[in-house]
Amino acid sequence: MNWIQALLIVSVLSLLVYLLRSRRNARSKAWVKVGYVLFVIAGIYAILRPDDTTIVANWLGVARGADLMEYMLIIAFVFTTLSAYMRFKDLELKYARLARAVALQTARVPEER
Amino acid sequence: MVCVDDGSRDDTGDVALRAGAHSVRHPVNLGQGAAIQTGVEYARRQPGAAVFATFDADGQHRVKDVIRMIDRLAGDDVDLVIGTRFADPGVVTHTPLLKRIVLRSAALLSRRSRKLGLTDAHNGLRVFNKTVADGLNLTMNGMSHADEFIAMAYENHWRVTEEPVEILYTEYSMSKGQPLLNGVNIIFDGWLRGRMSR
Repeated sequence: MNWIQALLIVSVLSLLVYLLRSRRNARSKAWVKVGYVLFVIAGIYAILRPDDTTIVANWLGVARGADLMEYMLIIAFVFTTLSAYMRFKDLELKYARLARAVALQTARVPEER
Repeated sequence: MVCVDDGSRDDTGDVALRAGAHSVRHPVNLGQGAAIQTGVEYARRQPGAAVFATFDADGQHRVKDVIRMIDRLAGDDVDLVIGTRFADPGVVTHTPLLKRIVLRSAALLSRRSRKLGLTDAHNGLRVFNKTVADGLNLTMNGMSHADEFIAMAYENHWRVTEEPVEILYTEYSMSKGQPLLNGVNIIFDGWLRGRMSR
């Protein structure tokens, strides 16, 4: 086994531990965790047998496994960016509603003349 | 009169309060759309509130336009009257040329604006009744609220009409006005809006 393979496996596994230990809204995130476990299994397989990714790449008409990995990385990155953007917008709306509630509670009425 | 102080650092809210306006202050700056929503939510819970008018507080609107729009609301069986700078193509407006082109294109490009027969969706001067005030739920905090307002009018089948108004482009209102490049943000927010949970 190469050093890089060991390093990659350790980092993938520590990410898995980190993800499984995070407790917030456990039920809604369950599918994310299942997906991540599958990803870890596939990832470790790809690290140990990198040439097999080339076979999959060839099925899809891509020359090298490394290229296929890069395409998948780009897609994943765009997906993550967009979902972060949407979540950010949702948070912004909640934040505005909270600020509005404060504003309405502290409204000042002019003196009668 | 309700003055929404959108988290400004000067004493705007105090000045407005002393002048006889109800003063509502956002603890943080949120943007114009959020400010309009706050103002309307404050106004609609006041007992007896029936007619609502929103306007930019930079002095670009004229009181006589508002009065005429209130008369329109009462007279013509409508729920919402929006001010327009472009009612009659023959009339020379004081809107700068580039701004005029962009605003006209925005109105023409918007499917809902066309269907409602609107020529100037981005006018800050609006007069509406309690139906509209109760139904109003602006989620775009920034400058995209004008399109969102139109979209809501369309979805809720509010009866909309336009009233020609004059905008006073003072140096102050020009300095506070939105840059035209902001149109890009507005278009993007318009695409996004359909996906927002409301």
